[in-house]
Amino acid sequence: MPSVLTYAEVRGGDLRKISLEAASAARALADAYGGEAHVILSGGPGVGAHAGALGEHGADVAFVSEHAAFAQYNPEALSALVAERARNGYAAVLIGGSARGKDLAPRVAAKLGAAILSDVTALARDGDALVATHPVYTGKVTATLRLTAGSGPAVVSLRPGAFTAAPAPRTVRIETAAPSGDPSAVRVQVKETPSVDSRKLDLAEAPVIVSGGRGLKAAENFKLVEDLAAAFGNAAVGATRAVTDDGWRPHSDQIGQTGRQVSPALYVAVGISGAIQHIAGMRASRCIVAINKDAEAPIFKVADYGIVGDVFEVVPALTAAIRAQRAKG
Amino acid sequence: MSLSQGIFLFCLAMGAAFFAYNAQRLVRYLRIAGGGSRLNDIPRRIWNLLSIGFAQTKILRDPVAGPLHASVFWGFIILQVGAIEILVQGVARGFAYGNFLPAPLHWVFLLSQELTAGVVLVAVAALLYRRILVRPKRLQGDRVHSGDAILILAMIAALMVTLLLVSATQRVINSEHPVAVQPVSAPLAGILMALGTSPNVVEAILAVSWWSHALLILVFLNYLPYSKHLHVIVSLPNTFLSNTSGPGRIGVMPLMDLESESEHFGASDVDQLTWKNLLDGYTCTECGRCTSVCPANITGKLLSPRKVVIDTRKRTMELAPQLVSGDAPNGDIREHRLLDKFITEEELWACTSCRACVYECPVSIDQLEIINELRRYLVLSESRFPEEVQPAFEALERNGAPWAFSPSSRAEWAAGLDIPTMAELSERGETPEVLYWVGCMGSFDERAKKTTVAVARILKAAGVRFAILGQEERCNGDPARRMGNEYLYQMLAKQNIETLDRYKVKAIVTNCPHCFHQIGNEYESLGGHYEVVHHSTYIAALLEQGRIPLSQGQAGAQRIVYHDACYLGRYNDVYDAPREVIRQALPVIDVVEAKRSKDRSLCCGAGGGRMWMEERTGKRINLERKEELAATGADTVAVACPFCMTMLGDAGKGTDGYVPVVDVAELVAGRLKA
Amino acid sequence: MDVKFRIAASGNAVDETGLKWDMSDFDGYAVEIALQMIEKLGTGEVVVISLGPDAAQEVLRKALSMGATRAVHLKSDTVPFDSAAIATALAAELKDGGYDLIMFGKMAIDSASGAIGAMVGEMLGLPTVHGCATLEVANGKGFARRELEGGAEEVTFPLPAVVTIDEGIARPRYPSLKGIMAAKKKPMESKPAQLGAVRVTVDAMALPAERAAGRIIGEGAAAVPELVRLLQTEAKVL
Repeated sequence: MPSVLTYAEVRGGDLRKISLEAASAARALADAYGGEAHVILSGGPGVGAHAGALGEHGADVAFVSEHAAFAQYNPEALSALVAERARNGYAAVLIGGSARGKDLAPRVAAKLGAAILSDVTALARDGDALVATHPVYTGKVTATLRLTAGSGPAVVSLRPGAFTAAPAPRTVRIETAAPSGDPSAVRVQVKETPSVDSRKLDLAEAPVIVSGGRGLKAAENFKLVEDLAAAFGNAAVGATRAVTDDGWRPHSDQIGQTGRQVSPALYVAVGISGAIQHIAGMRASRCIVAINKDAEAPIFKVADYGIVGDVFEVVPALTAAIRAQRAKG
Repeated sequence: MSLSQGIFLFCLAMGAAFFAYNAQRLVRYLRIAGGGSRLNDIPRRIWNLLSIGFAQTKILRDPVAGPLHASVFWGFIILQVGAIEILVQGVARGFAYGNFLPAPLHWVFLLSQELTAGVVLVAVAALLYRRILVRPKRLQGDRVHSGDAILILAMIAALMVTLLLVSATQRVINSEHPVAVQPVSAPLAGILMALGTSPNVVEAILAVSWWSHALLILVFLNYLPYSKHLHVIVSLPNTFLSNTSGPGRIGVMPLMDLESESEHFGASDVDQLTWKNLLDGYTCTECGRCTSVCPANITGKLLSPRKVVIDTRKRTMELAPQLVSGDAPNGDIREHRLLDKFITEEELWACTSCRACVYECPVSIDQLEIINELRRYLVLSESRFPEEVQPAFEALERNGAPWAFSPSSRAEWAAGLDIPTMAELSERGETPEVLYWVGCMGSFDERAKKTTVAVARILKAAGVRFAILGQEERCNGDPARRMGNEYLYQMLAKQNIETLDRYKVKAIVTNCPHCFHQIGNEYESLGGHYEVVHHSTYIAALLEQGRIPLSQGQAGAQRIVYHDACYLGRYNDVYDAPREVIRQALPVIDVVEAKRSKDRSLCCGAGGGRMWMEERTGKRINLERKEELAATGADTVAVACPFCMTMLGDAGKGTDGYVPVVDVAELVAGRLKA
Repeated sequence: MDVKFRIAASGNAVDETGLKWDMSDFDGYAVEIALQMIEKLGTGEVVVISLGPDAAQEVLRKALSMGATRAVHLKSDTVPFDSAAIATALAAELKDGGYDLIMFGKMAIDSASGAIGAMVGEMLGLPTVHGCATLEVANGKGFARRELEGGAEEVTFPLPAVVTIDEGIARPRYPSLKGIMAAKKKPMESKPAQLGAVRVTVDAMALPAERAAGRIIGEGAAAVPELVRLLQTEAKVL
């Protein structure tokens, strides 16, 4: 009865939302195999406390590995840990495709001599094989891939936001997983640095994203976007490539074909013309609102609702309206 | 031989020898550069010499300085006849035209000299007044040697005064000619006599005047090589040797041999230009007309076409002696090369290749050719260009278009219009009357697509059997070539020629003036020979033939100003066709002209690849032009180029009093019978 | 990638007619940063390697015209969608190369898996850093910065190492004509690729469903109340 192994990412002591998405995906796949969903939880001392949340999302067993050397991201030791655990008859290893997950998954696959499906948006069992969908050619084409692993597990990385974290509560059994070898004896040393402004809400996790483009004319005008995001209360701030290339916003804020792909419930595009490379990064949003002074801008072709107007007039008005709306409760 | 004859002969010989020395030196300097013969199409060259040179057609474009200079120039020629007499007299005492010319002819000669001297004197006085007191803007600048100009004017004045004194004193001594024939020196002679000047003094004045005049001629002649007045010698030959007013196709950039084993492509220093470019340097009179019509300079950019030419001359005078002497150079002779040390990148990239400078130059200098060769060097040899240009180059390589659009989207504008492609026609074994070449703007730009559709509708309404290349069309290569990327240009051009020849295309009507210029004029040197017209010319012809059914209804009185596209106007002399199209499309219409129109039209700012570059200094060129167009009081601006459409359409958007921009084809299409 | 794709008749590939092959964006950044490193050191060589059909040689030639020293082409007429299979072939070739630094783009811009580089690093048993936003090497050590969601990592590692390059690190230079001419004479070696077992295949390729058309609801600040109303009642996102 093959099972599914998943990796839970913990950063700064917090369980990342993507870990819950991965846990839910693992639960669904494990059910297709009639097996169990197991999770590896590693980090500094005390990380085991997150096992409960993982159990809420379908994990049967949590392998907890607490070690000082895991307090920082430790790709070599971590991939060894996951690979070692994965050799115990699992059908698949699922890893959430965050920046760290995308780093971890190929290492695990190589250590296992396994095949890998990367950045998938849907996953299912088909007999002996796994079938997944994955956006290719900058999101212009969707590929359906088939992994026939034969013996040994397959490794799959999941696109953030593509799988929903669904409750499937059970009591999770906790086991310890001891790393073989010394996890501090590694060649690659990682030290996490906090972001320049410690915004808690990440683009992959925010239900609302307010994004700004060239139409804002100058870096300081991004304040309009930030104010609108603050008015929503649960919004993150994104940017187009033009704006990050010019240095107005950091690269990690860039939404587009080569930046972040996001799928929030609401995406508000401010002063963005809608070049195809930006659209590729946000077209999966549930609802898109566009504000631009050019009625012919391509963004209006993908927006559900559009307002043609001067962003310097419309955005403050919208900010005030949203604030008032939220104040009403 | 008398002592004075001997001295004079000595002076003459010295003067001639020194002049000959300088002449051969300057010719040797020209030889450091390349370039071949320029003796094709002699009839056209002779015509240029006669019209631009002798008839001073370009000089006369300035209504004040023009006649003044023309007077001095023509006067100069006429006075040469008298100068010869004087120089011969110095050696052969007693030589005089009067000795062998019949009296009436001699009187004509005398009168001509008198009147000319008088006119020149007045003109010189006016020119001195202009230079010293009026100080027009184009005569100021850091490369302008005003002292040189004033010195020359003073010398010319002195030549005239001494000449008249010679005549006057000769009259006092022996007044053999009628007063009517010497209307200036006669009164002068009268004054001398009235003053009771003694014969000795008169003789002295004569001698001094005569010697001064003769020596001044020799001094003047030998001063020329060291002055901007070298143009006196070289401007007529330069006009003869120039291609700026033909022969051959105007505004065609020379083809580069990219297979050559040479180390450098383009020019970074004067010996990598052609001898003609260096001759242009000699010829520059520093008049500043080129700079005064340069759209970049007018709006505050660093570029000055005059400076480019004067710098070429300066560098030639610096480098050529070193190269010609063959001595081992001390230090790096390239350290001070033309590029960077004289002419900077900022100046070079500011150029819109509008050709106003070339058109305006009275002595047929080609400033643009030097700018283009330096650009070629920057791009091909050093890969140095504004960074915002790189995506355009890469898109041209990848997509055959200067933007991020794939060839498969090219014919989207034609959806539902039932327009066959060449591929479709070829499969059926048919050929169209004409190929409609749409161009990249017309294929991809939302606003320009409306013009594309308008032209297509007009062609259909006129019953013209046409086809498009659709997805097989590629950028004509003009942006790449004008930005200096000759390699990319030739790749694109050859690809297009191959496609056109495969379909055996002969007749083409283009949407855009740049496509028109490229395919019609520049593709020839790569082996592409086609009959190409721009859509305004084609539509004008159709209207003339009555082939376009226009509705008869009155279209309320409108006031329209037409903006001449550089690549239609100055490059190809197409001024009237678009105006005809407007007039015929809208019968009740007031077509007004901007202050600078037709061959003086101010560029919209997009040419020379500047459409793909940021404008970072000074006033925006398109705004400058749009304001001028709006000042005519017109309620619409008409254009015939998609780039002008974008530039002028964008200028002033969102402000009060915004004047909309339409293509002439749209005016016609709007009046098609339903 | 400005192409409008069509699906081939087979249903599991895109229609390649009229498509032009070019260097993947992230590979371009990697080549550029490699060239800059060698220029800064004043010594060393940049070797470029690619696995694919003969068309891959054009991409290698482009890298040579940017300034790379020599090229290796691992010939494979079809390129499987299997990162492990490709990584196996590359690792076999790179194993004995004695390289100080092996660089990949973070991901191929078309297949977008982002796994090959890190897999090769593991297969070679070398220190591996995936997704470098900055990269420096000095005295046998490497220093990189990786960007995370709302944060970053500073990574130090010994050489030899394998890195993959993220964007923002360097703008690939435009080859000069001189470089293009010189590239024609630089060595390009071609040999058959030793692919690993192919376990991932493409079942189908499809164009994503078009979003339903939206609408412009108004102009200027006056349209804001209507927008808020629609977001609340129709889209239900507020």
